[in-house]
Amino acid sequence: MLKHIVLKEVWENISSPKFVFTFLLCTVLIILSAYTGIGNYRADFKEYNSAKALNKQNLDASPSWQALAGLGTKITKPPQVLGTLAAGIQDAVGRNSTVNIAYDPQLVDSKYDSNPVFAIFGNLDLTLIVKIVLSLFAILFTYDAIVGEKERGTLKLALANRVPRDQIILGKAIGSFISLLVPLLIPFLLGLLMLNLYPDISLSGGDWSRIALMFLFYLLYLSVFFTLGLFVSSRTNRSSSSLFILLFIWVILIFVVPKSAVMVANHMSPIPSVHDINSQKDAFLQEIQGSAPQKVAEWREANEPVDGDDPTIFQEKFRAFLTELQQDLTARIDAKNAEVEESFQSKRRRQQMLALNLSRISPASSLTFGALALAKTGIHEHERFLNSIKTYKPIFTKWVNAKMMENLDFNARQQPKPVLDDMPLHEFVPMTLADSFALALPDFVVMILMIIVLFAGAFVSFLRYDIR
Amino acid sequence: MLEAKDLTMRYEDGHLAVDHINFQVKKGEIFCMLGANGAGKTTTINLFLNFIDPTEGQPLVDNVDSSKDPLEAKGNIAFVSENVMLYSNFTARQNMDYFAKLGGKPDYTRDDYYAVMRRVGLQEEAFEGKLKNFSKGMRQKIGIAIAILKDANNIILDEPTSGLDPKAAAEFATILNELKEQGKAIFMSTHDIFRAKTFADRVGIMKEGRMVMQRSSQEFLAEDLEKIYLDYMLGKID
Repeated sequence: MLKHIVLKEVWENISSPKFVFTFLLCTVLIILSAYTGIGNYRADFKEYNSAKALNKQNLDASPSWQALAGLGTKITKPPQVLGTLAAGIQDAVGRNSTVNIAYDPQLVDSKYDSNPVFAIFGNLDLTLIVKIVLSLFAILFTYDAIVGEKERGTLKLALANRVPRDQIILGKAIGSFISLLVPLLIPFLLGLLMLNLYPDISLSGGDWSRIALMFLFYLLYLSVFFTLGLFVSSRTNRSSSSLFILLFIWVILIFVVPKSAVMVANHMSPIPSVHDINSQKDAFLQEIQGSAPQKVAEWREANEPVDGDDPTIFQEKFRAFLTELQQDLTARIDAKNAEVEESFQSKRRRQQMLALNLSRISPASSLTFGALALAKTGIHEHERFLNSIKTYKPIFTKWVNAKMMENLDFNARQQPKPVLDDMPLHEFVPMTLADSFALALPDFVVMILMIIVLFAGAFVSFLRYDIR
Repeated sequence: MLEAKDLTMRYEDGHLAVDHINFQVKKGEIFCMLGANGAGKTTTINLFLNFIDPTEGQPLVDNVDSSKDPLEAKGNIAFVSENVMLYSNFTARQNMDYFAKLGGKPDYTRDDYYAVMRRVGLQEEAFEGKLKNFSKGMRQKIGIAIAILKDANNIILDEPTSGLDPKAAAEFATILNELKEQGKAIFMSTHDIFRAKTFADRVGIMKEGRMVMQRSSQEFLAEDLEKIYLDYMLGKID
């Protein structure tokens, strides 16, 4: 019996104009998103390689160790290939960071900085399409699933047979879900095929696993709206009421809850602005820089060579002093920056967690967090990359300071050109699949719970539904 | 056989829709239930189909209490509703196929469906036509065809002739008589007293939830049924 109901539901849906419309629109949107996503990724990857080459060129051209220490090296964040499916925050946040002996490294030069037009239109990625367009389709497929059959009289006719109600609701749920799956699955596979057609885009086994998990996330997300539609449809007596209620809930879940969560978190757990933090760091830097000449003067006064002293001994002692002073000042700057940063980050993390947890009321937020964690284009991966640069900074500064002092020649008119053979390199290990999944797990669980609750609600409501 | 024993339905708001009614529809008999809107005819049907549970009494289908064992009872009822809408994107045959399967008849062939559609007087070109292009009369014929396919002992029809043109209504009466000849117990609610007189073996009149009168065909043919009915409706007889 269940099989007949499922098949009828699938056939009824796929032979309807709304299915044809949904399928065509999804195909166009998903292929368009794959095309633009691939284009963006290839452009970003080219830019990334250019930035790396330019940095190498600049490092090679450094006239002296002092210049190298001051100008530093540039670290560029590599684009993520799965950003083609879930662009995340990668266009909004900085991609480049300068690591030198003075400033605390930050990621700057976002794509939106370089071309604000991108910010106006945003990204049309698959996650956005699923989040907004397909969730709306899930509602359109289910708003009249029960109440529509009641209005047409077909529910009465069906239940005038030896058919248990649970079979009807299960059959409708399975059949309608299969119908909704088709407009997602086929264009999705076409999009992946497009991704494979480009020889400069290579997907690893891990990437394919991530894609499979992302697809699962999309399915879960659509199931939430799908079961919500079933639930409301089995609680109303007119399909127009059902549609109105569902559209209202959809707007609240997609647009209002995520934005409100951030605002509420801002009020509940305020944090200092970035400018406050930077001014604290700058003030300390100026204090340190101001104290350095005085310390040098004091040392010179105490260690001024008397007539007859070998000037080279003084120079060596002075070099040793400067080396120690440089390392000390840099270490103090780093320590202060780390202290300020840690305090700020701790407050920011608290606010961020509050905002994220509040916004999880909406499945749209859960979808975004989960998809971005799996695509490695979310906040966590960005912070990991920034932290890797912050970890690299003292390594670089220690090395460059040592080299600078080692090669300081007080008599030379021109300082020696740096040799970069043993320069420590920045290393970044992207998040593993297990870590990404662990990050996405709460959202996975939240969505499953929502589906269970809504389906149970729909099931119980239908068992008691007045079909007259 | 359909039988109402002290069947009563009082809604949660206190409205007494069906008030201790008793009747029997035997094998090979057509019972027409007359009554104004709100008299309780459709509620009675809903009780037999267990769309609602009775407050008191029993709706029996082949001696099975529909409120106690609804699935067993519904297995022995074919139902034709007032406005047969069905699935508009399906063809006539697809609709019949689906409801035949729900009715526990999964093995019908295309020819079986076509034969039943011919029997109810549907034109050949409509067999594979989509329901959205069908008139009310054509849809009603499909409703009857679905009931025939189920081949249940009992048939319940809720205002089946409302909105039908005279030709379609006459064709419908012919089919109903054929089903009666096959030994089906047929219960039909209707406003159409003239049609009821034509083919009913017994007639009942419902008013405000009560069965105020029952007559056999021999009795009502000897009386002026229209007058009796109007007298009840106008309150001249209580």
